[in-house]
Amino acid sequence: MKELYLDPHQARRRQPTPFEDLLGDSIERGYAAGIEDLAAMVAHLNRTGPNCPENEGIWTEQNFQEAMARLSA
Amino acid sequence: MRTSPNDPVDAVLAEGLKNLWYPICPSEFVGERPVSLRRLGRKFVFWRDQTTGKLHALEDHCPHRGAPLSMGIALGDRIACGYHGVQVRADGVVTSVPGSPGCKLEGAKATRSFHVTEAAGAIFLYNSSENVDTPPPLVLPEELTNDQEYSSFLCYTEWGGDYRYVIDNVMDPMHGTFLHKQSHSMAEGDATATFGVRETDTGFVFEKEGQRGVNFDWTEWADTGIHWMRLAIPYPKTGGPGGSFTIIGSYTPIVPNVAAVFHWRVRKLVPGWQRDTWRFLYRNRLEARHWAVLEQDRVVLELMEPDANQREILYQHDMGIVRLRRHVRKLAQAQLDEQEEKAA
Ligand code: FES
Ligand SMILES: [Fe+2]
Repeated sequence: MKELYLDPHQARRRQPTPFEDLLGDSIERGYAAGIEDLAAMVAHLNRTGPNCPENEGIWTEQNFQEAMARLSA
Repeated sequence: MRTSPNDPVDAVLAEGLKNLWYPICPSEFVGERPVSLRRLGRKFVFWRDQTTGKLHALEDHCPHRGAPLSMGIALGDRIACGYHGVQVRADGVVTSVPGSPGCKLEGAKATRSFHVTEAAGAIFLYNSSENVDTPPPLVLPEELTNDQEYSSFLCYTEWGGDYRYVIDNVMDPMHGTFLHKQSHSMAEGDATATFGVRETDTGFVFEKEGQRGVNFDWTEWADTGIHWMRLAIPYPKTGGPGGSFTIIGSYTPIVPNVAAVFHWRVRKLVPGWQRDTWRFLYRNRLEARHWAVLEQDRVVLELMEPDANQREILYQHDMGIVRLRRHVRKLAQAQLDEQEEKAA
């Protein structure tokens, strides 16, 4: 019998970047603090980082949504 | 799991009930090159048509002398056996016997053929007891078909235990409080609970009385032409809005004491930033946490002696298991009766 299939990372196609890890940390902290709407999440990211990789570091509702759409695709 | 000797019902269940859809593997396991997979008491060959991308499945057994068709060459909707070149079409008909043109094998439906389809990232096969022209539709729970309300990821694993132990494990919500106490989502819930059974249109729900949304509090079993299970676990706040985390499970025997384990991890989130953010977090970190929980199950299950089911002393928490076992035994008995009738 071949080895059994046990792959812990089936959704991810590559290693996450350090920026993605920081972004994940920050979003989780935002959720933990009770944030549920987009404006509050964007404000939270601008307050605590990480900076947006474009737009001179500033997150907007538009670029945050674009980032999430890209990273979830 | 030890199958009781001389128990034909058990023997049917060991290989999986017939005339049901079963998940086979993630979609990406099969490309244009034939792939051989053991499942459900036989060996199948799967491949995709180079031109149409259509998925095909035959028994992986050449009708000439039994060489694996998977060692042959796929030619669109046919496979040319690597041993003597006999060509078998996806419907099981031999289209050419190069070594003996015009022999009676040509044109014969000599190989078992199976209907396959794809949904929710997986390949499903209709495990018909004999060749059928048209299978019943594959009916999956709405979590896997309603893309406007739900989003999911498939987690596929192969475990060294009988698929019926995997089902027992899912039909046993109480283990969440104990086995998964050290986990990101199941630290809550009473260590004692009374369970009840509630009928549904397609099966039943086994649930804790007076406790919902605290831990792993209920399990549903359903038969919609495929056997599947559903459960929900409260998500920690860090997972964001969207409520509980739902798991849809379906389990397929590979060989005795090896199971193909399918878990779709689902959240109810309409398209938009919240869904995208959950999908990002899932890839980035949640998948690893869910994996750690699932590993707790696998380790126990694989360490159970195959004959554990012969020496059990069950109590109230195990009512769901008892009920489900009784139900599937009845289904297996009905298949045996039908076989006997046909033979008579
Ligand atoms: S065994 Fe396949 S062609 Fe002979
Ligand atoms: Fe579990």
